[in-house]
Amino acid sequence: MRRMLLLDDLSATVGEEDEAKTIINGLSLEVPAGEVHAIMGPNGAGKSTLSYVLTGRDGYEVTGGSATLDGVDILDMDPEARASKGLFLSFQYPVEIPGVPVMTFVRTAMNAQRKLRGEEEISAPDFIKKSREIGKQLNLSTEMLKRPLNVGFSGGEKKRLEIFQMMMLEPSFAILDETDSGLDIDALRTVADGVNALRNPKRGMLVITHYQRLLDHIKPDKVHVLANGKIIKTGGPELALRLEAEGYDGVLGEAA
Amino acid sequence: MTLSIDALKEKFRNPGPVELELIARYAMLPESGQRERAFSAFAETGLPHRRMEAWRWTDFKAAIRSIEAPETPGQSVPLPSGDCPVIAFSGTKTELPTALPPGIQLHSRTDAQALGNAEEVPLGALTAALAGRVGGLDTLIIEVTEKTETPLHIITRSDRDETNFARVAVIVRPGASLDLVESHLGGAGFSSFLIEIGMQDGGHVRRTVLQKASADEAQAVTAIVSLGDKSEYTQTALSFGAHVARLETRLTHQESGSHATLNGAYLCADGFHSDFTSHVRHGAPSSVTRQVTKGAVLDGGTGVFQGKFHVPRTVGQHTDADMQHQALLLEDGAQVFAKPELEIYADDVECAHGNTSGALDPNQLFYMRQRGIPETQAKALLTEAFIAEALESANEGVHDALLEAARTFLAESA
Repeated sequence: MRRMLLLDDLSATVGEEDEAKTIINGLSLEVPAGEVHAIMGPNGAGKSTLSYVLTGRDGYEVTGGSATLDGVDILDMDPEARASKGLFLSFQYPVEIPGVPVMTFVRTAMNAQRKLRGEEEISAPDFIKKSREIGKQLNLSTEMLKRPLNVGFSGGEKKRLEIFQMMMLEPSFAILDETDSGLDIDALRTVADGVNALRNPKRGMLVITHYQRLLDHIKPDKVHVLANGKIIKTGGPELALRLEAEGYDGVLGEAA
Repeated sequence: MTLSIDALKEKFRNPGPVELELIARYAMLPESGQRERAFSAFAETGLPHRRMEAWRWTDFKAAIRSIEAPETPGQSVPLPSGDCPVIAFSGTKTELPTALPPGIQLHSRTDAQALGNAEEVPLGALTAALAGRVGGLDTLIIEVTEKTETPLHIITRSDRDETNFARVAVIVRPGASLDLVESHLGGAGFSSFLIEIGMQDGGHVRRTVLQKASADEAQAVTAIVSLGDKSEYTQTALSFGAHVARLETRLTHQESGSHATLNGAYLCADGFHSDFTSHVRHGAPSSVTRQVTKGAVLDGGTGVFQGKFHVPRTVGQHTDADMQHQALLLEDGAQVFAKPELEIYADDVECAHGNTSGALDPNQLFYMRQRGIPETQAKALLTEAFIAEALESANEGVHDALLEAARTFLAESA
């Protein structure tokens, strides 16, 4: 089994030098190709920080350990280089991009990634065909895809647009940060169907969530519990059910 | 008869070398009462400078050290005119179209009417005084008598001339309409274009302007616009500046129920200065003004926005006016000066203004980079989207060319 994402004793701080706070503290994790892993944890455990550290956001500094994707160190790469390497983050709070229609945005992103990888640009007809098919699966109308990205969209629509981008860009590794928040039951199912459609033996995924609910629809191969910046417990899907039943205190008390 | 240079000098308080050169040029032109009035108005101030309130951020006197041809000819790409009629002014000649659509007539005058408000627009007055050439025409008059659809293009572009002064007057007869597309492309050390637009009842004018010149030129584009009863004026301008550049519009709602849109965008690189100044007088009741100006400036560039709505007591009642200026400082070292002013004496009006400046949002940049868009491209895309709103009102035939000009600029400065 190929190890796709490998984090070894990773530590990271947030904030300026004097006020830097350690949020990720000796975190080790591996997600093999073809698997979906879930990360659960209480508020403040470092879940979103982990997603930002891995995607290279400014303001997060790695102070120790390593992170590799397909054997390549990603920590020194620019965010756009990581993206073209196949790393995708579905944002917890998708950002509004005024004046840039969804289609223009995704096509720009797709071609920018292809350029960085030394590939040909996608042709306009191919792009339109693909976007129509995926839009249909996610209940996103052509009219919606012509509007500026995330501007004036509801919380659920924004999350569906994240999945739309993921399905268009076909990353090799996807991190879904609280994709279930803000979704009603129907939208949750649509989103989960989209994610499940992308599951394949070559692709890895890390699903960050507070609740078991999403994991009813996206069955994880493994569940990790993140607390105080490190993984303190790993198990199968049954661990998520136990967390739901006993709460983090119950499980964390046992692990401590 | 040749006017005495000494007599002219006395009209100026303290003429500098450039003003002396302008006096010498004026003295060589044929005598005309109109020109004399205009030159006297210019003499009141001389070249405008920072100690004049309306010119505190755009100092032509300091910027023009001598009248010299620039290093490079004018910008090569005007807005696309297709088969439309083109009027072209260079420092040495005027080219007129061979055919005009029905409803548009050109006349030239050697002694056009005096310039209204000349004393308030010193560069307009200078242009009115110097636009004539020996044996050439002083003022080109465009008379529009019908609704016309074919845009009329005006290009000012020189091939390394010292100066290029041109003056156009537009008369829009009742119910007539004109689409005007202007490309002001520099190529002269000091270029100045003056356009006066008089719109009679129910007239429509849409004016789309591109200004682009090199960093060793001074350029002014001055418009004086008067709106008749229920007439409509839409202006959209994109400016890349010059060593110093000013696009000034003085607009008066002369009769009631008129509607004016004044939109503009500036993009300034290192060494470029672009100034959008406007003065709108609501001199008749129930008139509407909408103004959106957007700008983006790089390190070493300067953007200026000065907007004023003047709403007099009594005649200005039921004015509906909105002024917005938003600027992006793309890098440290970028400068933007803004002065939005509402001067309202009428008591039953709706007037609003907004003025913001700031940097690009780091959250947006990170989001785009996470999708694989390199930082420079992300900045260019966000900036283009930001200014695009101000260009939406442009003539649809040249709208894409304006956006393309902006896109090229942003790609080159990345």
